[in-house]
Amino acid sequence: MNVVAVCACTVGIAHTWMAKEAIEKECERRGYEFKVEAQGGYGIENELEQDEVDAADVVLLAIAIGIEGDERFDEKRDEGRVLTLDPSLAIADPAKVIDQVVALAE
Amino acid sequence: MAEEKSPSVLGKVGKDLLKAFNTGVSYFIPIVVVGGVFLAFSLATGTAGKDGIEVTNPLMQSLNLIGMAGIKMMIPVLAAYIAYSLGGKPALAPGFVLGYLASNPVPVGGVQVSTGFLGAMVLGVAAGYLVQWMKSWKVNSTIRTIMPILIIPSLSSLALGMLYIYVLAAPLGAFMDWLTSLLSSLQGGSAVVLGIVIGLMTAFDMGGPVNKTASTFTMALMTAGVYGPNGAFRVAVAIPPLVCGVASLIARSKFDDTDRQMGISAVFMGLIGITEGAIPFAVKDLAHTLPAIMIGSAVGAGLAAWHGIECFVPHGGMIVAAATNNIALYTLDMAIGVAVGVAILVLTKPKLEDNKEHTARNACTF
Repeated sequence: MNVVAVCACTVGIAHTWMAKEAIEKECERRGYEFKVEAQGGYGIENELEQDEVDAADVVLLAIAIGIEGDERFDEKRDEGRVLTLDPSLAIADPAKVIDQVVALAE
Repeated sequence: MAEEKSPSVLGKVGKDLLKAFNTGVSYFIPIVVVGGVFLAFSLATGTAGKDGIEVTNPLMQSLNLIGMAGIKMMIPVLAAYIAYSLGGKPALAPGFVLGYLASNPVPVGGVQVSTGFLGAMVLGVAAGYLVQWMKSWKVNSTIRTIMPILIIPSLSSLALGMLYIYVLAAPLGAFMDWLTSLLSSLQGGSAVVLGIVIGLMTAFDMGGPVNKTASTFTMALMTAGVYGPNGAFRVAVAIPPLVCGVASLIARSKFDDTDRQMGISAVFMGLIGITEGAIPFAVKDLAHTLPAIMIGSAVGAGLAAWHGIECFVPHGGMIVAAATNNIALYTLDMAIGVAVGVAILVLTKPKLEDNKEHTARNACTF
């Protein structure tokens, strides 16, 4: 399983990073390949390249705001492989969120 | 979500709008901070006159100019990024232009009307959706290249700008006037209730969307010349991190060394008015932290409303104390709110030994 994700909260100084960490930990625990981009107060960090997005099985957008580079995910969106939700959900219950993401890949 | 039925159109619009407002706020906060901090510094050196605070020192007047530039930018930026969230990059230009239009007076039936935040939010949403729709137009390839730089920005600015000046400005302006006079007439009990609600919202998600709703509301009133709700809010924002920080430093048996290190930075964040400083404590132990900070903020904001505290800058914490109408009461109300919050947190939080299991269970429930 190869998961890519973007995290972005309103102000970009706390929840963005908490969601990133929660998703990364959960993916690591399950032995998935993953890369999580953060769009916080500093702008984009750990940016996802288009080929990394293309290679992913599913995309998780844990975002509360409109993000930069949203068009990178258009193709995956057409395939129904993008899950968008609020970052607080990824922080509260990452296992459940990753389950939902994985369900999209099958 | 694939197996779920597609959400109702109304639900999707609501979700998109919420995301759009959050995006706008996310970009406008750093601007508000620039404006607020510099204004606070310069106003702190001024003397209170009949038209508010007058700044006489030339260096401070320069700081005041920088601060005012930030304040003037905040409404256009808000409108622009609301539009951006809905319509993408081509929506930025009409968003900025229309936001600037809303923040400056336009003539309506012989009087000058500016609609500030409310106008900016309405125009930002309108520009976002209009651009979203214009992007879907089927045009030939020559025109397609000039769509995003020429046709979409000019047509959308023209259409919505005219609509605003001739149709929307009057009712929006009237609504702002009504809201302003209603809230400036609030005194005693009803003002305290408003203060308590503002305090609860401030602490509830520590800088999240609920908190930002309260802050946008108080700033909207501030641009309309009503400074009371802003005063209550600015007292309240400092309280959650101060409560957590102070509690961690005095109740040694209930917090470990890591907590105390976070506590020092939380106190600092509280003094400069950044509510997010309380988040690490809430993440570790939401069940005990949240009630304490919500009650603390509500008490502080309620007292500030009762005392008629007004804050003239869109930023909070102790650093703006001098930019309020009563430094002593502003500080006292904040201190009482902190004291109440600390007392509740220290009394309800279990000692570290029997706390371990609890903490693990509560981790990341936020």
